[in-house]
Amino acid sequence: MTTIPFTEPLGTAGSCAFSVAGTTENAQDIESLAGAAPAGPARIADRVRRSGQVAQVRPADATRPTAQVRVGARPTGLDVRVGGGVGSSPQRPDGRLKVSGEFAFSSDLWADDMLWGATLRSPYPRAKLTGLDLTAAVALPGVYAVLTAQDVPGRRVYGLEHADQPVLAGTEIRYQGEPIAIVAADHPETARRAASLIKADYEVLAPVTDPDAALLPGSDRVHADRPNLLRHVPIRKGDPAATAPVVVTGEYQVGMQDQAFLGPESGLAVPAEDGGVDLYIATQWLHVDQQQVAACLGLPQEKVRLTLAGVGGAFGAREDLSMQVHACLLALRTGRPVKMVYGREESFFGHVHRHPARLRYEHGADRDGRLVYVKASIVLDGGAYASSTGAVVANAATLGIGPYDVPNVVMDAYGLYTNNPPCGAMRGFGAVQACFAYESQMDRLAAAVGLDPVEVRLRNALTTGDRMPTGQLVEGPAPVAELLRLVRERPQAPAGADFPPGGTANTTRGEGVVRGVGYAIGIKNVCFSEGFDDFATARVRLELVGGRPAALVHTAAAEVGQGLVTVQAQIVRTELGVEQVTIAPADTSVGSAGSSSASRQTYMTGGAVRAACLALRARLAARLTALGRAPSTSDNDKKGPFLSAEEWVGALEAGALEETVEWRHRPTHALDPETGQGDAHVQYAFAAHRATVDVDVELGLVKVVEIATAQDVGKAVNPQAVAGQIQGGTAQGLGLALMEEIQVVDGMVRNPSFTDYLLPTIMDMPPMRLDVLELADPHSPYGLRGVGEPPTISSTPAVVAAIRAATGAALTRVPVRPEHIVGA
Amino acid sequence: MERGEKGTTQNMRSISYSRVADVATAIATVTADPDAAYLAGGTTKVDMLRIYAEPSQRLVDINDLPINHIELQPDGAVRLGALARMNDVAMSPIVAQRYPLLAEALVLGASAQLRNMASMGGNMLQRTRCSYFRDHEAACNKRVPGSGCSALTGVNRGHAVLGTSEHCIAAHPSDAAVALSALDAVIHVQNRDGHHAYAIDDFFLAPEDTPEREHPLQHGDLITAIEIPPLPMARDSLYLKVRDRESYEFALVSVALALRVEGGAVAEVRMALGGVATKPWRARRAEHALLGRPATHEHFLHAAREETADAVPRSMNGFKIELARRTMVRALETVTARGGTP
Ligand SMILES: Cc1cc2nc3c(=O)[nH]c(=O)nc-3n(C[C@H](O)[C@H](O)[C@H](O)COP(=O)(O)OP(=O)(O)OC[C@H]3O[C@@H](n4cnc5c(N)ncnc54)[C@H](O)[C@@H]3O)c2cc1C
Ligand code: SF4
Repeated sequence: MTTIPFTEPLGTAGSCAFSVAGTTENAQDIESLAGAAPAGPARIADRVRRSGQVAQVRPADATRPTAQVRVGARPTGLDVRVGGGVGSSPQRPDGRLKVSGEFAFSSDLWADDMLWGATLRSPYPRAKLTGLDLTAAVALPGVYAVLTAQDVPGRRVYGLEHADQPVLAGTEIRYQGEPIAIVAADHPETARRAASLIKADYEVLAPVTDPDAALLPGSDRVHADRPNLLRHVPIRKGDPAATAPVVVTGEYQVGMQDQAFLGPESGLAVPAEDGGVDLYIATQWLHVDQQQVAACLGLPQEKVRLTLAGVGGAFGAREDLSMQVHACLLALRTGRPVKMVYGREESFFGHVHRHPARLRYEHGADRDGRLVYVKASIVLDGGAYASSTGAVVANAATLGIGPYDVPNVVMDAYGLYTNNPPCGAMRGFGAVQACFAYESQMDRLAAAVGLDPVEVRLRNALTTGDRMPTGQLVEGPAPVAELLRLVRERPQAPAGADFPPGGTANTTRGEGVVRGVGYAIGIKNVCFSEGFDDFATARVRLELVGGRPAALVHTAAAEVGQGLVTVQAQIVRTELGVEQVTIAPADTSVGSAGSSSASRQTYMTGGAVRAACLALRARLAARLTALGRAPSTSDNDKKGPFLSAEEWVGALEAGALEETVEWRHRPTHALDPETGQGDAHVQYAFAAHRATVDVDVELGLVKVVEIATAQDVGKAVNPQAVAGQIQGGTAQGLGLALMEEIQVVDGMVRNPSFTDYLLPTIMDMPPMRLDVLELADPHSPYGLRGVGEPPTISSTPAVVAAIRAATGAALTRVPVRPEHIVGA
Repeated sequence: MERGEKGTTQNMRSISYSRVADVATAIATVTADPDAAYLAGGTTKVDMLRIYAEPSQRLVDINDLPINHIELQPDGAVRLGALARMNDVAMSPIVAQRYPLLAEALVLGASAQLRNMASMGGNMLQRTRCSYFRDHEAACNKRVPGSGCSALTGVNRGHAVLGTSEHCIAAHPSDAAVALSALDAVIHVQNRDGHHAYAIDDFFLAPEDTPEREHPLQHGDLITAIEIPPLPMARDSLYLKVRDRESYEFALVSVALALRVEGGAVAEVRMALGGVATKPWRARRAEHALLGRPATHEHFLHAAREETADAVPRSMNGFKIELARRTMVRALETVTARGGTP
């Protein structure tokens, strides 16, 4: 086991002996071609390039030795012959562009003769559309097209798991903000004005808004042809009638969180001569967009070609379609490129959110705090359309008791249709909601048996060889106890921190301020589960460029800010020993990479790139052998064929070598519909948090003073990116704990702006202490474990536990606000 | 920007813009056109136009007017030009030394970027954050008189508990105006007929049954300056703001306080509340309850209770009453503990 001490963020004194993150002088530069892009109005290709999608490695400074990874940060088991390989943190191609404001996001797309699209949306959460008069909109000069549901040539509905969401509403309106009509005009303001000139008549109906009530037999149906219950996942393990001497119960609620990416939904659809359309789009999964868009347009898939545009954050919110079909419809109808960009308010209605949840738990334990049983019921509000609610429900159910070994489990998770905003994917989905509840329960149990909160968790900690409630064997490292100990052992932040709660607002006197410490640990599945055919495709091409070997990597994997482009180049360098690696723009001319979600992309697309490299190695060796030149260093699998310059020329002179690989993780299986038994997940990932807070108990103000976290990443492929994911994910969890919530009343969103939907700022984030374990998973590439989601999961309950410790308040709902602490 | 052959300009919402260089022209221009309005920093105005909360307009940019001074008057008063920026006022030693509560109120408002743009005059006229006021689908008496008040039974966590009526419960959002209210500031206004001065307490109107009227200004009236009378005890004063996050957020409750304790008793006090009332709320009842009484927790609490005795809680904002009491007590104790003005 190696622990990588990371540099401390925010300039606080660190306890680490050396740093990994940020040592760019040792890594090779990956340079975007942006520097070479011509000035003047950028064309689409330039925009794509400036989005950092085209990345190229500059050959290393010849005067420096190539392998310059510092001692201690040296990747285990890999002989890295060129800098910037797996285990190092080379500069990101998009980093400088983003910091300097030059990065081209999808909203910067431009075509010379383009039109602008706008959307008319329903002001009501539930209504019948009884009339639609387009006359005034069509008559407005500058308007080129006004389209409604009738104009959808193909399938009129789409969806990730169930196609139940209309491209444009027909007669039924099921949520506030549902698209009804779309307009293309020669100016964005004209397009918006035309949309507002459409006269829509509604018969307004009482919305179904309470998921508990929606579950009752007499409830109105959100979809006439379906019950409101979208999915129920039961899990039964052991004795359902088990009893225990110590019982703690609790009911918890999680509010609706928004992904709050900064780059709003946007894209550019360009009609093509073959009757098809090219769509430049910020998304998480090009191919699943392509399938849905093609079906709705009634076009064969090959006529709908997608290219990834610069993505301004995703966090799950770009997994469903937003303006994709709309822009394509308008482009095909007008014969002109059509650009659509949502504003901030529209964006709140343009994507799904995190499922709000109501969770009821009963934990039974012996007097030593060992769990005997857990009974739980989790109700997740899916809103108007299915999106990925099914998978969210399965995650909540299968991971719903947390990383603990419990002999008897009765768990039921439900996903409901309501007329609230549709909910779907968001970082940690399903696991986030459950973790807040089960970790709150573990604290109650600790109090009930008189144990320290960490101790009660240690006594029940899941470990290798245990079985999950689904019966799935926990294979490979499961360092639950280890992670808890790591965060517990971190020295505590000194009292009297730099500034107290509300300290920026003059509020504080010392006596009213109470320190509290809270712990939490969470578990998340990585990759797609339940028998889904989960794969990623990578094409790697090797050729001589200027007499030197160069690699071109082509995948459809979405770089959404996580640093995937960098990681792909790192893998190629490690596997092939080629310094110059170019990452082609992600598009649908290569096979699917699957989604940039479920913490899966380094695992999956990284795995595919690596597999393609391995195939290339075999072919290189074959060529050299045919030439009668045994490769000098291809003696063992771990070391790549690190050829001499002469050998490279020999091997590639005859022409480029290219390999395309479709790579799969080991298969998973469906859950038994009655017992929830089955090996549904590929890999589990774990993170623990310790939050230290100061609470001004009189005024209800909280200052998170410090967060210590420990996470097992299997292998830190890019340590700096790992640290970034952990810090960002933790911040998102802190936001849910303290302030982030979309307020929905009677199906209406009340705060669709960043002035009213509060995100933590730099003032709200404390210094963080990071411990990163690298315990290899035998099944995954390099032993890596998905990194992105776990930090979001346990940071919320840790912060709330700390506030409880300081105040004694029950705090069963997040976000926690001053009034919950003041108790008035 | 690309334009279609049919042209587009005539389709756009007609907002026109002009710049004026002197006060008389500014007033004449706006007064002559019922659709015209002043544009200062634009941080409120542009938002209002964007969300169609105010009609299409002819914007008259007044940023060139020579009314951006921060001046100490011979009589000891401080005069702030209407176009003085929030940041400049906050950083001005003239203000920071004499009226720390105002400097703090300004610094604790909005964000640095906004404060660099936003003017003092515009700050007085900013509009409520009530989400129904900003949602043109919702019933709102302030936006459409007589349409009803959605907040009464809707999301009203951020709304007022003092000075409300059944017609409107919107909280006044300004921090600066709360401090100015404690300071008995005077708002100077110029129009075609001449000059008018309003005591700040008369300037801000409670909603009663005309929530659309927030102040006494007539169309074309230009705020030229805000004058703060001398108040030596304000040298030790405080603006305390309770909010949902550490920065860049409006107040749940705020207290502006200047206090002088003599021989253990309150000799002089000025207090105003923000976040909890429909206008910057001068806490006269509390002041009255405090004057001459011992500067102790018990009396502070009593005064705070007096002030909120008539508060009307709604479904989600009842906590503000208790929070306001605690914040008042905290402010009083903080200033007392600092030693107050001897
Ligand atoms: C995101 C955000 C957060 C904010 N947070 C806070 C906060 O925490 N605390 C706080 O106090 N404020 C806050 N504000 C409000 C901000 O302080 C005001 O928007 C600003 O003070 C308005 O000043 P301005 O110069 O930009 O006014 P403008 O937007 O130019 O004008 C506002 C109004 O006043 C009129 N007007 C302007 N000047 C004059 C004049 N001299 N005479 C007559 N009429 C005039 C205009 O016609 C317009 O109707 C926030 C604003 C935003 C956008
Ligand atoms: S509180 Fe005032 S501003 Fe808000 S909806 Fe009611 S009338 Fe309108």
